[in-house]
Amino acid sequence: MSEMRSLLARAARLGGISGALVLYLVAVGLVLAFAQRNTVTGVVTLGRLMVIAPPLALAFVAAGGRGTFAARLAAGLVTGIISGLITAAAVLFVSSVEVRFILVRISPPLIDFMEFSQGAVPGAAINLAVAIGAGLVGAAVRLIPPRPRRPLVNATLGVVVVSLLEPFLRPRLTDFKLASVARFMFDHKGLTIVAAILVFILFAAFTVGWPILKNNTQRRIAAADPATQATIRGVAILVFILFLLALPQIAGSFLSQVLVFVGLYTLLALGLNIVVGYAGLLDLGYVAFYAVGSYLTALLTSPISSLGLGIPFWIALPIVVLGAALTGVFIGAPVLRLRGDYLAIVTLGFGEIARLLFLSDALKPWFGGVQGILGVPPLFGVTKVSVPILGWELHGPTLTYYPLLGLCVIAAFFAYRIKYSRAGRAWNAMREDEDVAQATGVNTTNYKLLAFALGASVGCLGGAVFVTHLASVFPGTFSITVSITVLSIIILGGMGSIPGVVVGSLALIGLPELLREFAEFRLLVYGGVLVIMMLVRPEGLLPDQARRRELHEAEEETESEDATDAGLERA
Amino acid sequence: MQPQVDPATMTSQDAPEGLLLEVNGVTKQFEGLVANRDIDFNIPRHSIVSIIGPNGAGKTTFFNQITGIYPPTSGRIVLDGIDITGFQPHEVAELGIARTYQNIRLFQNMTVLANVQVGRHVRMRGQWYHAIFGTAAIRREEEETVAKSRELLTLVGLRRRVENELAKNLPYGDQRRLEIARALASDPKLLLLDEPTAGMNPGETRQMTDFIGRLRRDLRLTILLIEHDMKVVMGVSERITVLDYGEKIAEGTPLEIRSNPRVIEAYLGKQAATS
Repeated sequence: MSEMRSLLARAARLGGISGALVLYLVAVGLVLAFAQRNTVTGVVTLGRLMVIAPPLALAFVAAGGRGTFAARLAAGLVTGIISGLITAAAVLFVSSVEVRFILVRISPPLIDFMEFSQGAVPGAAINLAVAIGAGLVGAAVRLIPPRPRRPLVNATLGVVVVSLLEPFLRPRLTDFKLASVARFMFDHKGLTIVAAILVFILFAAFTVGWPILKNNTQRRIAAADPATQATIRGVAILVFILFLLALPQIAGSFLSQVLVFVGLYTLLALGLNIVVGYAGLLDLGYVAFYAVGSYLTALLTSPISSLGLGIPFWIALPIVVLGAALTGVFIGAPVLRLRGDYLAIVTLGFGEIARLLFLSDALKPWFGGVQGILGVPPLFGVTKVSVPILGWELHGPTLTYYPLLGLCVIAAFFAYRIKYSRAGRAWNAMREDEDVAQATGVNTTNYKLLAFALGASVGCLGGAVFVTHLASVFPGTFSITVSITVLSIIILGGMGSIPGVVVGSLALIGLPELLREFAEFRLLVYGGVLVIMMLVRPEGLLPDQARRRELHEAEEETESEDATDAGLERA
Repeated sequence: MQPQVDPATMTSQDAPEGLLLEVNGVTKQFEGLVANRDIDFNIPRHSIVSIIGPNGAGKTTFFNQITGIYPPTSGRIVLDGIDITGFQPHEVAELGIARTYQNIRLFQNMTVLANVQVGRHVRMRGQWYHAIFGTAAIRREEEETVAKSRELLTLVGLRRRVENELAKNLPYGDQRRLEIARALASDPKLLLLDEPTAGMNPGETRQMTDFIGRLRRDLRLTILLIEHDMKVVMGVSERITVLDYGEKIAEGTPLEIRSNPRVIEAYLGKQAATS
């Protein structure tokens, strides 16, 4: 019985959290912002999903406890009831009491939305009913065995994701002369019911079919002779490269712009990853290196900058990298003796100093103060490149994409090589225990400066390319939020992990660009994501274990050799 | 295999190369506290010597000065003819002193193998830019380092299958062994062991002391032990120095130390010494 009680107590607690979460999402305005965005047109909007999702998800968690089938279902019900009661009470409260002077987002349209346009009391009742329904469904899904559950959950998420992509998919489909498909799939910013069902089936089938397909293919590849294996691998890599090269053409101009942002932040994060992830030096002023990269490039390449040199970009780039590396050393040198929080605070200050220097009137003759530097020529000297044969017209983001991609690949390769070298291990050792690293022979002074210099060099590349993309540079770009964003990317992806950096940039830069409505809530969402990550998965999305697993597998074959070990105890 | 030498019959005359470490008049003062006062101390080549003393006698302070963690207030430390007084820890490590810690200090979130590879750091030459270009020389060096590290893991009795475990996941005794492997990876001339048997039961302690004896024989190492447990050092070391309140109060063979009244006094109190 006590088991049952603890299960229900936990469910009640989760219900409280769910209710609070719903109220929060409503009160900050997220729900109303997405109220007009259809997921499945005529059935449910994204705003409505945001109200339904918390009780659903937390009932799913609540039903995961230990207990009988009925008890676990009851747990989901309790979560739903409590969550619904909280929401219903809030609906009743805001429809009778004016709270808008404190909670500015609680507007009449929002109240109407939360009441389902049915007035206060029926609206509250509907809210309760919806939450209870969500709670029961959440618990029921948990009680389904994993095999049928997985395609169900994936298919549902698939429908939501495809509907979110509507603003990009629809115009692209039209561009590719598939307007009829677009009309069939989408209606009023959402999926049509028929399309939603098709997408659902497609995703479910894929979830079921993919592991089988993958296993079969892997078995077939494993059975093939080494030459064929090498060919398959080569073809796979080639296809991937071709895909990356063709991506801007597939994605279109707007998505390419998003990809350019993702590329910029990937470069910044790869650089900061060296400083924070490898060497463990918490640098909160990383934006300084981005600024130095941008300003140096602008100074050298713009014919109307204070220097007025107008050097071609690719000749200027080595000078920019060198300048950034020197800046890294300059910033690194005074903080050599600082550790942990102290280092973070001081670098935070350096980041602001960099911005203020570029902004200052004293240095205005050099950096142009508030006006910044204008007239930065495009990267290849031309604004438009046409690719023969394929008939591609590259300009703006679809052109900037390529040098960014190239630099990202090079930087990732560098970062990877260094990581598994003497220097990488020395940094890791320093991160783990600086005193012991030094006593083991690591010259900590040199390696700290090296981390700052290399981190700065990689980060400045992002600034250098981006400034040619915008054709100008302003000090306002280099605020503290850039440093925080880049750090968030690394934490989300997994400290020190290179694939993690890419995934982190896609998630934190790419997704918010896709969900335009998020724009004003971006920092809020970052905060939420980071808190959840720290609680649920502190090692990041793609932690650095791929290599370890690789080594483990290789080692199982050599295990028999272990028998000859001369152990201490046998000596 | 080196010819076996019985530690009991081996005196400083058996080590014709002379002294590996000479410490002359080292004093360390922290504010008002004198942690080490005017200590003279020598280590003959290929010997095992020990420093013992009650807790707080200044043993670890003395260790820290040899390894360069802080410089002595006055006095001189000479390793193999080179005056290393005031050298930085990484310079001392490069010149051939490696150490372990009383409270094990491994690189917790690195793999077992990587811990030993870091130990090899000072004997490697590859720079980051070599690594980027993946030169043949650097690949060879990496392979050699892995081979050497595995050899050392085997030597200290760690199995191959743990080499990709994180150091923090090893059981306590294995962590001690790993620390020794990491220290040995730098090909040290002098190995400093700070209470290597702390937290071990009598059986494990005996294994460890046997192992220390083997290290000296097989690797021709010179070893300096710190212990506060007298019984541990009696068996393995040919010379023992006793510190108390920062001063050297006795020096000699285990037999001499065992019967020295000042040592007994330091350890057991005045009454025990006179009775």
